Amino acid sequence: MSGNKKTFDDVSQVPLGAVSADDMRWNKTGTWRNVRPFFDPKTSPCIAGCPAGENIQEYIALAREGRFEKAVRVIWESNPFPAICGRICYHPCMDRCMRSEHDGAVFIPAIERFLGDYAIEKKIKQNPPSKRLGFEIAIIGGGPAGLSCAYFLARRGFGVTVFEAKEQLGGVLRYGIPQYRLPNDVLDAELDRLYALGVKIKTSTVVGKDMGVEELSKYSAYFLGVGLQGSRRLNLENEDARGVMPGLKFLEAVNTGKTVDVGKRVVVVGGGNTAMDVARSARRLGAEVTVLYRRTRNEMPAIEDEVREAADENVAFRFLAAPAEIITHNGGVKELRCQEMELGLPDDTGRKRPVPKAGAFFTLPLDSLLVAVGEIPDVESFESIVSVSNGLIVTDEFGRTSNEKVFAGGDIVTGASTVVNAIARGRGAAELIAAELTDGVFDPKQQRKVVAIADINAAYFLHKKAATMPQSNGGGESFTEVNLGLTCDQVKQELSRCYSCGVCDGCDNCWVFCPDVAISREDGVYTIDYDYCKGCLICVQECPRGVLASERETS
Amino acid sequence: MKKVMEGNHAISYGVQASEVQVISAYPITPQTQIVERLSELCAGGELDAKFIKVESEHSAMAAVIGASAAGARAFTATSSQGLLLMHEMLHWAVGARLPVVLANVNRAVGPPWNIWTDQNDSLSQRDTGMLQLYCESNQEVFDTVLQAYRIGEKVMLPVMLVLDAFFLSHTSEIVDVFGPDEAREYLPPYRPAESLSPESPKAFGNLTGPDNYYELRYSIFNDMQRAIDVAKEADDEFERLFGRRYGIVEEYRTDGADTILVTSGTVTSTAREVVDELRDAGRAVGLLKMRLFRPFPTHEVRRVLGGRRKVAVIDRNIGFGVGGIFAQEIKSALWGVGEHLPLFSFIAGIGGRDVTPDVIKEIMDITDSSEMPTEEVYWIGVKDEQLSYLTK
Repeated sequence: MSGNKKTFDDVSQVPLGAVSADDMRWNKTGTWRNVRPFFDPKTSPCIAGCPAGENIQEYIALAREGRFEKAVRVIWESNPFPAICGRICYHPCMDRCMRSEHDGAVFIPAIERFLGDYAIEKKIKQNPPSKRLGFEIAIIGGGPAGLSCAYFLARRGFGVTVFEAKEQLGGVLRYGIPQYRLPNDVLDAELDRLYALGVKIKTSTVVGKDMGVEELSKYSAYFLGVGLQGSRRLNLENEDARGVMPGLKFLEAVNTGKTVDVGKRVVVVGGGNTAMDVARSARRLGAEVTVLYRRTRNEMPAIEDEVREAADENVAFRFLAAPAEIITHNGGVKELRCQEMELGLPDDTGRKRPVPKAGAFFTLPLDSLLVAVGEIPDVESFESIVSVSNGLIVTDEFGRTSNEKVFAGGDIVTGASTVVNAIARGRGAAELIAAELTDGVFDPKQQRKVVAIADINAAYFLHKKAATMPQSNGGGESFTEVNLGLTCDQVKQELSRCYSCGVCDGCDNCWVFCPDVAISREDGVYTIDYDYCKGCLICVQECPRGVLASERETS
Repeated sequence: MKKVMEGNHAISYGVQASEVQVISAYPITPQTQIVERLSELCAGGELDAKFIKVESEHSAMAAVIGASAAGARAFTATSSQGLLLMHEMLHWAVGARLPVVLANVNRAVGPPWNIWTDQNDSLSQRDTGMLQLYCESNQEVFDTVLQAYRIGEKVMLPVMLVLDAFFLSHTSEIVDVFGPDEAREYLPPYRPAESLSPESPKAFGNLTGPDNYYELRYSIFNDMQRAIDVAKEADDEFERLFGRRYGIVEEYRTDGADTILVTSGTVTSTAREVVDELRDAGRAVGLLKMRLFRPFPTHEVRRVLGGRRKVAVIDRNIGFGVGGIFAQEIKSALWGVGEHLPLFSFIAGIGGRDVTPDVIKEIMDITDSSEMPTEEVYWIGVKDEQLSYLTK
């Protein structure tokens, strides 16, 4: 043992208690350690859950400090449309939120919407690219995938032209999703970001019809994001009778302000989000609406919130029923004969397969039959340039097609999916195109380890109730927006509820708890002094957010 | 400033006047209001102290030990089972020479559960090396908090302040309180010679072998002995500044008394009345109140009791297999000084049973009725009928 031995001349000099005579720093107690704590920042589960990979933890942390502009710019790094996605996203981020089991998930989309709206209201400018590259890229399809791809290419300095078949940009955002969920002025405000980047837009241009596919060859690369334009049919007789209409066509008519007469009684067939949009829009036209779905509410692919809101608006549901016969009178639809169903064994999607109940039928009188049983692709124009399988364009996970100049993403690659998935695919393809054209390195971010519930020390978080979305009165009657957005106080409360999973927020717990004073803090950065850390792992235990981890000492 | 307050709050305000810097406690009936008021004083900014919430009394004591080792003036409060759970840490505070103050509200120990007063919880800690002071009134409670810190910090030992459950803890009396500004001359800031510090990291409580441990124990013993004079000085100085004194023991109407009744805690107040009554009736009785129990004021006890005819001791506690604990201590004090004083040992008031003037008169009558005790221990007021019912 080192240290000096001290001898006292007199008993009165002896200290009262057992205290070392000298500083004990020579005694490097770190040698006692057999496990080692270390700072191991991780990915928050919400970020891992977001298809677009939005840095949710970071923008919440910034917003919590009141730095809203910086926060919204963080979102723009991975998603140009926070005001849109904050309204209509199916928010898988929330499903992964560690707060769920504590007192309810943080209302992430409502925060995103707040920040998106903040950027619009404060007219926060999209910065133009710092340099212009000499490449021109064509984007075919002005929906979420194409617009995302266009945005991220234009940010990097690529020249971008978007070809859109319809009169205006937006795709499903404009023609599919109703105004009461996503007002056009919000959509237009977010699209302004593309104009600010100098993206050229050619609307009313159907590639393969108004302009030959071969004309695309003058571009350095092009991206196909045409989505799913066809509607799946019921394959029943009289499906083209007056009063029978594909749901998407109905929505497009309503969303573009056309007069649509659906009569008094409407039956909507289908259980997805389109069916909900169709039902609620028809309700707003004054009809009594019944949704016919062949399975039960549990199997409905629509977002839970949409189903609940439809029910709140007095949309009726007939579960376990499928259309069997369309009965017409004078060329117009009159009745729908329905087959009762029951659930059988699960199919390959894991949902229970509906099977007809022998001899069980009922009839619904109706004025309109709106069919929303799925969308189908139309890739005929592109079959000559890329490989196609099952009607969809074949790509790798990043959007490479069989043609080295052609990239693709969105529903035309994945089949019917979501807006945020399309945005993610568009961005992924943009990164790939940029890398390939500039000899850059395409290195899709290796995700860090994701925080697990066991990493969280929830004892440090007070229970705070999750906010509920304020809604307009008289829902179900007009096309004005239903969800009004959180109040400022609610947003503040939600921001304060974020655990900041896996990312240090300087709470000092490790520093305070270390019994060996082996953690130091300088400018908000903590360092472990392994000369004295005995490996008790109290710091790991007391980190509320799973930033610290431990490993066995090997030597 | 005179205020009406319960005994528990008298403790809280004593702690405030003492400018305690760290408080840690776990709630237990009948101690709760002490800590409640302290938490309010901390939250309201009227007391600049760290209030540490903990999950047990063991941790509470550990927390104040840590705070005291780091050089802070620290306080905790508990009762009964809570004090028993602290036991290990009481030894630690003593061995580490940390002058924390602990207020213990005397409560009977379970099972069976009982929240009322008796002294077995604090007397079970007799040999830990903590000083023990038993209080009679709410004013004494308030004043004793300040005295406890003054004494403890001079001898570098922890001090337990003891008050009866409910009879003091929850009973309101007029208390003349003062704040830190008035207290500071009496109780200067705590400045220990050694304290924990990251700037100069030292080892505390090191492994100490047979060659040194013995001397460290000897040092505690000596400082405990010295604490008797320190406690007297603290009381004298308190009187000089604030006009009140209590003594380490108190004599009441002992002049010319043949028989001395010995009491502690709130029984004393009742006994004063009985002594007055018996004196008026011409009986030569006096009263000795035991305030300092550890260290035991052997010389004072000898001085007061020497030359009397008889001693009666009331114990609100029981040392199973021996008898009343105060009685045992007093017997020991009288041994070897040529006294053959008949000592009548009475057990009364255990588990919060009332010790009424009639109970005390009965005790005095028994003491008068024979030259020598006829029993080693007298249990006053045992309900024979109920006991026999219980054994059926």
